Amino acid sequence: MKDGDFIELEHFYPHPPAAVWRALTTPEMQARWWVAGDIKPVVGHRFELDMGTYGKQACEVIEVVPERLIRYTFAIGTLDTVISWRLRPENGGTRLILRHEEFDLGTPLGRQAREGMGRGWPDVLDRMSRFLASATEKAD
Amino acid sequence: MTTAEIDIFSALANPVRRDILAALREGPSPVTQLSRHFPIGRPAVSEHLQVLRRAGLVREEPRGRERYYHLDPRPLKQVDLWLESFTAYWSDRLRALETVLEQEKQS
Repeated sequence: MKDGDFIELEHFYPHPPAAVWRALTTPEMQARWWVAGDIKPVVGHRFELDMGTYGKQACEVIEVVPERLIRYTFAIGTLDTVISWRLRPENGGTRLILRHEEFDLGTPLGRQAREGMGRGWPDVLDRMSRFLASATEKAD
Repeated sequence: MTTAEIDIFSALANPVRRDILAALREGPSPVTQLSRHFPIGRPAVSEHLQVLRRAGLVREEPRGRERYYHLDPRPLKQVDLWLESFTAYWSDRLRALETVLEQEKQS
């Protein structure tokens, strides 16, 4: 299971790292592609991300390398995961590597998922997709 | 999928049980051999194995005097589905970011 408790996605953007960095680390930009929150690229900075129906999620910045890396804890006390965004300059653009890790089934959201198991897995997926859809609507 | 007595998330919530599954990836093993990996004693390991068995993650095979435990990864699909929902979520967000960057460039 230790191999399975993270998600990693890559995406290439034909924009310089400075532009991608701004989009990732300034509240007004972040709200346009994800959710509202007072993010700041400063280690130790605590902030909240407004995940819509799922509630405001507490986060804390744990690592910053300007225009290269920002890493923060995400949903402290509920999902208790870590998100890192790595930026790699590539052909005048940026390769962005998102890693969402430390998924733990003992957290409240993990528990919620497994409680849902009693009523059947489709129910869990359904609730999850409703949550994700509402978060998406909020960002769009 | 067969109906398990214990849901997979309860079974996997315990770190020792996750380590037992990891150990069983090397191949089937009797409890005596598995216990050497853990500082908790054989009865405790046996108990965890029973939870894993009831969740459908482990099956027993009698071999002479001993019972060998085999990993059955099929129920792990449910966990993959959970993580897949996050993967789909992030894919959407990464595409949304692309749109925002495009708009910024034009403005």
